[in-house]
Amino acid sequence: MPISRQMLRPVGGGFIFFSFIIALLINLLPWQISSINFAPDFVALLIVYWTLNQPRRFGIASSFVLGVLMDVADGNVLGQHALAYTVIAYLALSRQRQLAVFPFWQQALVALALLFLSQAIMLGIRMSMGASFIGWGYFAGTLLAAFLWPPLSNLMIMYQRKDVPDEL
Amino acid sequence: MQATQPTFFKQGPKPLTRVLIFSTLSVALIIGDAYFQLLGRVREQISIVLYPLQWLATAPTNAVIEASAFLQKQSHLIAENRQLNDAKLIAQAQEMRLKALEAENAQLRALKLANERNPRQSQLTQILYNGRDPFGAKLIVDLGQRSGVSAGQIALDASGVVGQVIRVQPMTSEVRLISDREHMVPVLVERNQLRTVVYGTGRQNPLEVRNMAPNVDIKPGDILLTSGIDGIYPAGLPVARVSKVERAAGNAFARIQCKPLAQIDQHRFLLLLNAPEPLPAYPLTTPAPKPKGH
Repeated sequence: MPISRQMLRPVGGGFIFFSFIIALLINLLPWQISSINFAPDFVALLIVYWTLNQPRRFGIASSFVLGVLMDVADGNVLGQHALAYTVIAYLALSRQRQLAVFPFWQQALVALALLFLSQAIMLGIRMSMGASFIGWGYFAGTLLAAFLWPPLSNLMIMYQRKDVPDEL
Repeated sequence: MQATQPTFFKQGPKPLTRVLIFSTLSVALIIGDAYFQLLGRVREQISIVLYPLQWLATAPTNAVIEASAFLQKQSHLIAENRQLNDAKLIAQAQEMRLKALEAENAQLRALKLANERNPRQSQLTQILYNGRDPFGAKLIVDLGQRSGVSAGQIALDASGVVGQVIRVQPMTSEVRLISDREHMVPVLVERNQLRTVVYGTGRQNPLEVRNMAPNVDIKPGDILLTSGIDGIYPAGLPVARVSKVERAAGNAFARIQCKPLAQIDQHRFLLLLNAPEPLPAYPLTTPAPKPKGH
Protein backbone atom coordinates (compact mmCIF):
# COMPACT_ATOMS: atom_id res chain seq x y z
CA MET A 1 0.00 0.00 0.00
CA PRO A 2 1.24 3.52 -0.61
CA ILE A 3 2.70 5.32 2.35
CA SER A 4 0.00 7.06 4.27
CA ARG A 5 -0.62 8.42 7.70
CA GLN A 6 -3.44 6.05 8.31
CA MET A 7 -3.25 3.32 10.83
CA LEU A 8 -3.99 -0.04 9.31
CA ARG A 9 -5.35 -3.07 11.03
CA PRO A 10 -3.45 -6.30 10.36
CA VAL A 11 -4.98 -8.57 7.75
CA GLY A 12 -6.15 -12.01 8.78
CA GLY A 13 -5.68 -15.08 6.63
CA GLY A 14 -9.44 -15.48 6.70
CA PHE A 15 -9.91 -12.16 4.93
CA ILE A 16 -7.50 -13.12 2.16
CA PHE A 17 -9.26 -16.46 1.77
CA PHE A 18 -12.65 -14.78 1.65
CA SER A 19 -11.47 -12.27 -0.95
CA PHE A 20 -10.38 -15.12 -3.20
CA ILE A 21 -13.70 -16.90 -2.78
CA ILE A 22 -15.39 -13.73 -4.03
CA ALA A 23 -12.89 -13.38 -6.88
CA LEU A 24 -13.43 -17.00 -7.99
CA LEU A 25 -17.17 -16.40 -7.80
CA ILE A 26 -16.89 -13.35 -10.07
CA ASN A 27 -14.65 -15.25 -12.46
CA LEU A 28 -17.20 -18.04 -12.66
CA LEU A 29 -20.09 -15.70 -13.47
CA PRO A 30 -21.74 -16.64 -16.74
CA TRP A 31 -20.78 -14.06 -19.36
CA GLN A 32 -22.30 -13.40 -22.71
CA ILE A 33 -20.15 -14.86 -25.43
CA SER A 34 -19.70 -11.48 -27.07
CA SER A 35 -18.40 -9.91 -23.86
CA ILE A 36 -16.32 -12.76 -22.45
CA ASN A 37 -13.11 -11.08 -23.57
CA PHE A 38 -13.92 -8.03 -21.48
CA ALA A 39 -14.22 -10.03 -18.29
CA PRO A 40 -11.26 -9.05 -16.10
CA ASP A 41 -9.44 -11.87 -14.37
CA PHE A 42 -10.15 -10.94 -10.76
CA VAL A 43 -8.18 -13.84 -9.33
CA ALA A 44 -5.02 -12.65 -11.12
CA LEU A 45 -5.71 -9.09 -9.98
CA LEU A 46 -6.02 -10.19 -6.36
CA ILE A 47 -2.91 -12.32 -6.65
CA VAL A 48 -0.95 -9.20 -7.62
CA TYR A 49 -2.65 -7.21 -4.87
CA TRP A 50 -1.95 -9.65 -2.04
CA THR A 51 1.57 -10.42 -3.22
CA LEU A 52 2.37 -6.72 -3.11
CA ASN A 53 0.66 -6.06 0.20
CA GLN A 54 1.05 -9.27 2.19
CA PRO A 55 4.14 -10.99 0.79
CA ARG A 56 4.64 -13.05 3.94
CA ARG A 57 1.15 -14.45 3.94
CA PHE A 58 0.52 -14.83 0.25
CA GLY A 59 2.97 -15.92 -2.38
CA ILE A 60 3.93 -18.26 -5.13
CA ALA A 61 2.59 -21.50 -3.65
CA SER A 62 -0.87 -20.04 -3.04
CA SER A 63 -0.90 -18.59 -6.55
CA PHE A 64 -0.13 -22.03 -7.94
CA VAL A 65 -3.04 -23.59 -6.04
CA LEU A 66 -5.41 -20.87 -7.23
CA GLY A 67 -4.18 -21.40 -10.78
CA VAL A 68 -5.02 -25.10 -10.61
CA LEU A 69 -8.47 -24.21 -9.27
CA MET A 70 -9.05 -21.82 -12.16
CA ASP A 71 -7.90 -24.46 -14.64
CA VAL A 72 -10.38 -26.92 -13.24
CA ALA A 73 -13.17 -24.35 -13.19
CA ASP A 74 -12.49 -23.24 -16.75
CA GLY A 75 -12.05 -26.71 -18.13
CA ASN A 76 -9.12 -25.88 -20.36
CA VAL A 77 -5.55 -27.13 -20.25
CA LEU A 78 -4.52 -28.12 -16.73
CA GLY A 79 -1.54 -26.04 -15.61
CA GLN A 80 -2.16 -23.07 -17.89
CA HIS A 81 -3.41 -20.67 -15.22
CA ALA A 82 -1.10 -22.28 -12.68
CA LEU A 83 2.00 -21.40 -14.69
CA ALA A 84 0.80 -17.88 -15.50
CA TYR A 85 -0.14 -17.10 -11.89
CA THR A 86 3.10 -18.55 -10.54
CA VAL A 87 5.16 -16.35 -12.85
CA ILE A 88 3.30 -13.12 -12.13
CA ALA A 89 3.37 -13.78 -8.38
CA TYR A 90 7.15 -14.22 -8.59
CA LEU A 91 7.64 -11.05 -10.61
CA ALA A 92 5.48 -9.05 -8.21
CA LEU A 93 7.33 -10.55 -5.25
CA SER A 94 10.80 -9.84 -6.64
CA ARG A 95 10.10 -6.09 -6.72
CA GLN A 96 7.62 -6.06 -3.86
CA ARG A 97 9.44 -3.58 -1.58
CA GLN A 98 9.62 -1.07 -4.38
CA LEU A 99 6.18 -1.55 -5.85
CA ALA A 100 4.32 -1.62 -2.56
CA VAL A 101 4.95 2.06 -1.90
CA PHE A 102 3.95 3.29 -5.34
CA PRO A 103 0.76 5.30 -5.65
CA PHE A 104 -2.22 3.35 -6.89
CA TRP A 105 -2.12 4.60 -10.47
CA GLN A 106 1.47 3.44 -10.87
CA GLN A 107 0.59 0.11 -9.32
CA ALA A 108 -2.22 -0.08 -11.87
CA LEU A 109 0.37 0.14 -14.65
CA VAL A 110 2.37 -2.67 -13.03
CA ALA A 111 -0.79 -4.75 -12.70
CA LEU A 112 -1.55 -4.10 -16.36
CA ALA A 113 1.86 -5.37 -17.38
CA LEU A 114 1.64 -8.44 -15.13
CA LEU A 115 -1.88 -9.40 -16.21
CA PHE A 116 -0.92 -8.88 -19.84
CA LEU A 117 2.01 -11.20 -19.27
CA SER A 118 -0.19 -13.83 -17.64
CA GLN A 119 -2.55 -13.80 -20.63
CA ALA A 120 0.38 -13.89 -23.02
CA ILE A 121 1.70 -16.98 -21.21
CA MET A 122 -1.69 -18.68 -21.49
CA LEU A 123 -1.95 -17.71 -25.14
CA GLY A 124 1.55 -19.10 -25.72
CA ILE A 125 0.65 -22.38 -24.05
CA ARG A 126 -2.53 -22.76 -26.08
CA MET A 127 -0.83 -21.83 -29.34
CA SER A 128 2.00 -24.26 -28.64
CA MET A 129 -0.69 -26.93 -28.25
CA GLY A 130 -2.15 -26.17 -31.64
CA ALA A 131 -4.77 -23.49 -31.06
CA SER A 132 -4.79 -20.61 -33.49
CA PHE A 133 -4.50 -16.96 -32.47
CA ILE A 134 -7.88 -15.71 -31.27
CA GLY A 135 -7.45 -11.99 -31.80
CA TRP A 136 -6.30 -9.04 -29.72
CA GLY A 137 -9.71 -8.80 -28.12
CA TYR A 138 -8.44 -11.50 -25.78
CA PHE A 139 -6.42 -8.86 -23.93
CA ALA A 140 -9.30 -6.40 -23.48
CA GLY A 141 -10.11 -7.72 -20.01
CA THR A 142 -6.58 -6.88 -18.87
CA LEU A 143 -7.05 -3.22 -19.73
CA LEU A 144 -10.31 -3.15 -17.82
CA ALA A 145 -8.64 -4.86 -14.87
CA ALA A 146 -5.96 -2.15 -14.76
CA PHE A 147 -8.65 0.52 -14.59
CA LEU A 148 -10.25 -1.41 -11.75
CA TRP A 149 -7.01 -1.50 -9.75
CA PRO A 150 -7.34 1.86 -7.88
CA PRO A 151 -10.97 1.31 -6.80
CA LEU A 152 -10.19 -2.29 -5.88
CA SER A 153 -7.18 -1.28 -3.80
CA ASN A 154 -9.23 1.37 -2.03
CA LEU A 155 -11.95 -1.15 -1.36
CA MET A 156 -9.55 -3.71 0.06
CA ILE A 157 -7.77 -1.18 2.24
CA MET A 158 -11.06 0.16 3.56
CA TYR A 159 -11.40 -2.98 5.62
CA GLN A 160 -8.01 -2.36 7.22
CA ARG A 161 -8.51 1.31 8.02
CA LYS A 162 -9.31 2.27 11.52
CA ASP A 163 -9.90 5.59 13.16
CA VAL A 164 -6.84 7.36 14.44
CA PRO A 165 -7.21 7.79 18.20
CA ASP A 166 -7.45 11.40 19.31
CA GLU A 167 -4.55 11.30 21.75
CA LEU A 168 -2.03 10.56 18.98
CA MET B 1 23.75 -15.94 4.91
CA GLN B 2 20.58 -17.87 5.44
CA ALA B 3 22.06 -19.90 8.28
CA THR B 4 23.10 -16.85 10.32
CA GLN B 5 19.71 -15.19 10.12
CA PRO B 6 17.51 -15.28 13.18
CA THR B 7 14.54 -17.62 12.80
CA PHE B 8 12.17 -14.65 12.68
CA PHE B 9 13.44 -13.68 9.24
CA LYS B 10 13.39 -17.14 7.79
CA GLN B 11 10.84 -17.47 5.04
CA GLY B 12 11.56 -20.90 3.65
CA PRO B 13 13.15 -21.26 0.23
CA LYS B 14 13.94 -18.16 -1.81
CA PRO B 15 11.34 -16.83 -4.23
CA LEU B 16 13.44 -17.85 -7.22
CA THR B 17 13.66 -21.44 -5.95
CA ARG B 18 9.94 -21.47 -5.34
CA VAL B 19 9.01 -20.08 -8.71
CA LEU B 20 11.25 -22.68 -10.35
CA ILE B 21 9.60 -25.48 -8.37
CA PHE B 22 6.06 -24.36 -9.11
CA SER B 23 6.58 -23.47 -12.74
CA THR B 24 8.18 -26.88 -13.28
CA LEU B 25 5.13 -28.40 -11.62
CA SER B 26 2.84 -26.38 -13.89
CA VAL B 27 4.70 -27.43 -17.00
CA ALA B 28 4.52 -31.02 -15.79
CA LEU B 29 0.76 -30.61 -15.38
CA ILE B 30 0.44 -29.15 -18.88
CA ILE B 31 2.41 -32.01 -20.40
CA GLY B 32 0.55 -34.54 -18.30
CA ASP B 33 -2.74 -33.07 -19.44
CA ALA B 34 -1.72 -33.06 -23.07
CA TYR B 35 -0.57 -36.67 -23.09
CA PHE B 36 -2.60 -38.45 -20.41
CA GLN B 37 -5.76 -36.33 -20.12
CA LEU B 38 -4.90 -35.55 -16.52
CA LEU B 39 -7.46 -32.77 -16.30
CA GLY B 40 -10.43 -35.12 -16.49
CA ARG B 41 -9.25 -37.09 -13.49
CA VAL B 42 -8.33 -34.04 -11.42
CA ARG B 43 -11.60 -32.36 -12.29
CA GLU B 44 -13.58 -35.26 -10.91
CA GLN B 45 -12.00 -34.58 -7.52
CA ILE B 46 -11.95 -30.79 -7.47
CA SER B 47 -15.15 -29.99 -9.32
CA ILE B 48 -17.19 -31.16 -6.33
CA VAL B 49 -15.49 -28.42 -4.30
CA LEU B 50 -16.15 -25.84 -7.01
CA TYR B 51 -19.74 -26.85 -7.66
CA PRO B 52 -21.27 -24.66 -4.91
CA LEU B 53 -19.35 -21.66 -6.28
CA GLN B 54 -20.50 -22.41 -9.80
CA TRP B 55 -24.06 -22.84 -8.64
CA LEU B 56 -23.89 -19.58 -6.68
CA ALA B 57 -22.45 -17.72 -9.67
CA THR B 58 -25.29 -18.81 -11.93
CA ALA B 59 -28.05 -18.48 -9.32
CA PRO B 60 -28.85 -14.75 -9.84
CA THR B 61 -29.34 -15.07 -13.61
CA ASN B 62 -31.43 -18.18 -13.17
CA ALA B 63 -33.57 -16.38 -10.60
CA VAL B 64 -34.12 -13.47 -13.00
CA ILE B 65 -35.06 -15.81 -15.82
CA GLU B 66 -37.48 -17.70 -13.61
CA ALA B 67 -39.02 -14.50 -12.29
CA SER B 68 -39.58 -13.15 -15.78
CA ALA B 69 -41.12 -16.46 -16.80
CA PHE B 70 -43.45 -16.25 -13.80
CA LEU B 71 -44.51 -12.72 -14.64
CA GLN B 72 -45.31 -13.45 -18.27
CA LYS B 73 -48.64 -12.13 -19.47
CA GLN B 74 -51.54 -14.48 -19.78
CA SER B 75 -52.27 -13.37 -23.32
CA HIS B 76 -48.74 -14.45 -24.20
CA LEU B 77 -49.36 -17.83 -22.69
CA ILE B 78 -52.68 -18.27 -24.47
CA ALA B 79 -51.13 -17.34 -27.82
CA GLU B 80 -48.24 -19.68 -27.19
CA ASN B 81 -50.61 -22.46 -26.14
CA ARG B 82 -52.59 -22.09 -29.35
CA GLN B 83 -49.41 -22.11 -31.39
CA LEU B 84 -48.16 -25.22 -29.62
CA ASN B 85 -51.49 -26.95 -30.19
CA ASP B 86 -51.23 -26.22 -33.89
CA ALA B 87 -47.65 -27.48 -33.92
CA LYS B 88 -48.78 -30.61 -32.10
CA LEU B 89 -51.46 -31.32 -34.70
CA ILE B 90 -48.95 -30.95 -37.48
CA ALA B 91 -46.48 -33.12 -35.60
CA GLN B 92 -49.13 -35.80 -35.05
CA ALA B 93 -49.95 -35.84 -38.72
CA GLN B 94 -46.28 -36.16 -39.51
CA GLU B 95 -45.88 -38.85 -36.89
CA MET B 96 -48.57 -40.94 -38.52
CA ARG B 97 -46.74 -40.68 -41.80
CA LEU B 98 -43.50 -41.42 -40.02
CA LYS B 99 -44.93 -44.55 -38.44
CA ALA B 100 -46.00 -45.84 -41.79
CA LEU B 101 -42.56 -45.06 -43.17
CA GLU B 102 -40.88 -46.70 -40.19
CA ALA B 103 -42.89 -49.85 -40.65
CA GLU B 104 -42.03 -49.88 -44.31
CA ASN B 105 -38.41 -49.22 -43.54
CA ALA B 106 -38.31 -52.02 -40.97
CA GLN B 107 -39.76 -54.37 -43.51
CA LEU B 108 -37.22 -53.36 -46.11
CA ARG B 109 -34.39 -53.73 -43.62
CA ALA B 110 -35.68 -57.16 -42.62
CA LEU B 111 -35.74 -58.08 -46.26
CA LYS B 112 -32.16 -56.95 -46.65
CA LEU B 113 -31.19 -58.74 -43.41
CA ALA B 114 -29.80 -55.52 -42.05
CA ASN B 115 -29.87 -54.94 -38.33
CA GLU B 116 -32.50 -52.42 -37.44
CA ARG B 117 -31.62 -49.46 -35.37
CA ASN B 118 -33.93 -48.54 -32.51
CA PRO B 119 -34.50 -44.90 -31.75
CA ARG B 120 -32.23 -43.95 -28.90
CA GLN B 121 -33.34 -42.84 -25.48
CA SER B 122 -32.73 -39.24 -24.57
CA GLN B 123 -32.54 -36.94 -21.57
CA LEU B 124 -33.54 -33.29 -21.26
CA THR B 125 -30.86 -31.08 -19.74
CA GLN B 126 -30.52 -27.43 -18.85
CA ILE B 127 -27.59 -25.24 -19.90
CA LEU B 128 -25.82 -23.87 -16.83
CA TYR B 129 -23.40 -21.47 -18.50
CA ASN B 130 -21.05 -20.95 -21.40
CA GLY B 131 -17.59 -22.37 -21.12
CA ARG B 132 -15.26 -19.54 -20.10
CA ASP B 133 -12.37 -20.69 -22.22
CA PRO B 134 -12.21 -18.28 -25.19
CA PHE B 135 -10.22 -20.81 -27.23
CA GLY B 136 -13.06 -23.28 -27.54
CA ALA B 137 -16.83 -23.31 -27.90
CA LYS B 138 -18.28 -25.21 -24.98
CA LEU B 139 -21.38 -25.27 -22.83
CA ILE B 140 -21.79 -26.61 -19.32
CA VAL B 141 -25.04 -28.49 -18.70
CA ASP B 142 -26.63 -29.61 -15.46
CA LEU B 143 -26.63 -33.38 -15.93
CA GLY B 144 -23.57 -35.42 -15.03
CA GLN B 145 -22.34 -38.85 -14.17
CA ARG B 146 -25.01 -39.25 -11.51
CA SER B 147 -27.71 -38.97 -14.16
CA GLY B 148 -25.98 -41.49 -16.36
CA VAL B 149 -24.48 -39.07 -18.85
CA SER B 150 -21.34 -40.32 -20.54
CA ALA B 151 -18.80 -38.77 -22.85
CA GLY B 152 -19.70 -39.17 -26.51
CA GLN B 153 -23.41 -38.46 -26.18
CA ILE B 154 -24.96 -36.11 -28.73
CA ALA B 155 -26.66 -32.85 -27.75
CA LEU B 156 -29.61 -31.68 -29.85
CA ASP B 157 -32.11 -28.89 -29.83
CA ALA B 158 -35.41 -28.77 -31.69
CA SER B 159 -33.83 -27.90 -35.01
CA GLY B 160 -30.57 -29.82 -35.16
CA VAL B 161 -27.31 -31.05 -33.72
CA VAL B 162 -25.77 -28.75 -31.11
CA GLY B 163 -22.69 -30.68 -30.11
CA GLN B 164 -21.25 -33.59 -28.24
CA VAL B 165 -20.60 -34.34 -24.58
CA ILE B 166 -16.85 -34.48 -24.16
CA ARG B 167 -16.26 -34.48 -20.43
CA VAL B 168 -18.43 -35.63 -17.57
CA GLN B 169 -18.26 -34.62 -13.93
CA PRO B 170 -20.46 -35.97 -11.16
CA MET B 171 -23.08 -33.23 -11.43
CA THR B 172 -22.29 -31.34 -14.63
CA SER B 173 -20.94 -32.13 -18.04
CA GLU B 174 -19.31 -30.27 -20.87
CA VAL B 175 -20.79 -30.09 -24.35
CA ARG B 176 -18.50 -29.13 -27.21
CA LEU B 177 -20.46 -27.18 -29.80
CA ILE B 178 -20.23 -28.07 -33.48
CA SER B 179 -18.69 -24.64 -34.03
CA ASP B 180 -15.64 -25.52 -31.89
CA ARG B 181 -12.38 -25.51 -33.82
CA GLU B 182 -11.64 -29.10 -32.90
CA HIS B 183 -15.05 -30.45 -33.76
CA MET B 184 -16.09 -32.18 -36.94
CA VAL B 185 -19.27 -33.98 -37.93
CA PRO B 186 -19.60 -36.55 -40.72
CA VAL B 187 -22.49 -35.40 -42.86
CA LEU B 188 -24.16 -35.98 -46.17
CA VAL B 189 -25.81 -33.47 -48.43
CA GLU B 190 -29.55 -34.06 -48.31
CA ARG B 191 -30.10 -33.26 -51.97
CA ASN B 192 -27.62 -35.64 -53.56
CA GLN B 193 -26.40 -37.84 -50.68
CA LEU B 194 -22.81 -36.67 -51.11
CA ARG B 195 -20.75 -37.73 -48.09
CA THR B 196 -18.42 -35.23 -46.49
CA VAL B 197 -17.30 -33.80 -43.17
CA VAL B 198 -18.19 -30.40 -41.72
CA TYR B 199 -15.60 -28.63 -39.52
CA GLY B 200 -16.09 -26.05 -36.80
CA THR B 201 -14.00 -22.90 -37.10
CA GLY B 202 -14.64 -21.05 -33.84
CA ARG B 203 -17.62 -19.92 -31.87
CA GLN B 204 -18.82 -16.96 -33.90
CA ASN B 205 -17.63 -18.25 -37.26
CA PRO B 206 -19.49 -20.26 -39.87
CA LEU B 207 -18.90 -24.00 -40.21
CA GLU B 208 -16.80 -25.16 -43.13
CA VAL B 209 -16.75 -28.08 -45.51
CA ARG B 210 -13.13 -28.59 -46.48
CA ASN B 211 -11.19 -30.47 -49.11
CA MET B 212 -13.92 -30.55 -51.72
CA ALA B 213 -13.02 -30.05 -55.37
CA PRO B 214 -14.07 -26.71 -56.91
CA ASN B 215 -16.65 -28.39 -59.11
CA VAL B 216 -18.34 -30.25 -56.26
CA ASP B 217 -22.13 -30.38 -56.41
CA ILE B 218 -22.97 -28.31 -53.33
CA LYS B 219 -25.10 -25.19 -53.60
CA PRO B 220 -26.05 -22.50 -51.13
CA GLY B 221 -29.23 -23.61 -49.38
CA ASP B 222 -28.33 -27.30 -49.29
CA ILE B 223 -29.05 -29.04 -45.99
CA LEU B 224 -26.36 -31.20 -44.40
CA LEU B 225 -27.55 -34.21 -42.38
CA THR B 226 -25.49 -36.49 -40.21
CA SER B 227 -24.45 -39.52 -42.19
CA GLY B 228 -24.16 -41.93 -39.25
CA ILE B 229 -20.92 -43.28 -40.64
CA ASP B 230 -18.78 -42.72 -37.55
CA GLY B 231 -21.23 -44.59 -35.35
CA ILE B 232 -21.38 -41.67 -32.92
CA TYR B 233 -23.93 -39.46 -34.62
CA PRO B 234 -27.10 -41.30 -35.58
CA ALA B 235 -27.96 -40.84 -39.24
CA GLY B 236 -30.36 -38.20 -40.49
CA LEU B 237 -30.06 -35.40 -37.92
CA PRO B 238 -29.98 -31.94 -39.49
CA VAL B 239 -26.65 -30.19 -38.90
CA ALA B 240 -26.21 -27.13 -41.09
CA ARG B 241 -27.37 -25.23 -44.14
CA VAL B 242 -24.82 -24.21 -46.77
CA SER B 243 -24.68 -20.42 -46.80
CA LYS B 244 -21.92 -19.60 -49.24
CA VAL B 245 -19.87 -21.47 -51.84
CA GLU B 246 -16.75 -19.84 -53.27
CA ARG B 247 -15.11 -21.46 -56.24
CA ALA B 248 -12.02 -19.33 -56.74
CA ALA B 249 -10.00 -20.31 -59.79
CA GLY B 250 -6.70 -20.21 -57.92
CA ASN B 251 -7.65 -22.60 -55.13
CA ALA B 252 -7.45 -26.36 -55.21
CA PHE B 253 -10.57 -26.63 -53.09
CA ALA B 254 -13.91 -24.90 -52.97
CA ARG B 255 -14.61 -22.75 -49.92
CA ILE B 256 -17.93 -23.85 -48.52
CA GLN B 257 -19.41 -22.10 -45.51
CA CYS B 258 -22.42 -23.33 -43.58
CA LYS B 259 -24.65 -22.03 -40.84
CA PRO B 260 -25.64 -24.41 -38.04
CA LEU B 261 -29.35 -25.24 -38.13
CA ALA B 262 -29.54 -25.59 -34.36
CA GLN B 263 -29.66 -22.29 -32.55
CA ILE B 264 -26.53 -23.07 -30.63
CA ASP B 265 -26.35 -19.75 -28.81
CA GLN B 266 -29.96 -19.32 -27.87
CA HIS B 267 -31.68 -22.01 -25.88
CA ARG B 268 -31.63 -23.03 -22.27
CA PHE B 269 -32.54 -26.67 -22.77
CA LEU B 270 -30.87 -29.40 -24.76
CA LEU B 271 -31.61 -33.03 -25.44
CA LEU B 272 -28.83 -35.56 -24.80
CA LEU B 273 -29.11 -38.71 -26.89
CA ASN B 274 -27.94 -41.85 -25.18
CA ALA B 275 -24.67 -43.43 -26.21
CA PRO B 276 -24.69 -45.51 -29.37
CA GLU B 277 -24.22 -49.25 -29.50
CA PRO B 278 -20.63 -50.02 -30.46
CA LEU B 279 -20.04 -50.70 -34.12
CA PRO B 280 -18.48 -53.96 -35.20
CA ALA B 281 -14.69 -53.78 -34.89
CA TYR B 282 -12.78 -52.22 -37.73
CA PRO B 283 -11.08 -54.97 -39.73
CA LEU B 284 -7.43 -54.38 -38.98
CA THR B 285 -5.96 -57.81 -39.59
CA THR B 286 -7.06 -58.48 -43.15
CA PRO B 287 -6.99 -55.33 -45.25
CA ALA B 288 -8.59 -55.56 -48.64
CA PRO B 289 -6.09 -56.12 -51.45
CA LYS B 290 -5.24 -52.84 -53.14
CA PRO B 291 -6.58 -52.47 -56.63
CA LYS B 292 -3.87 -52.23 -59.21
CA GLY B 293 -3.07 -49.02 -60.99
CA HIS B 294 -3.40 -46.84 -57.88
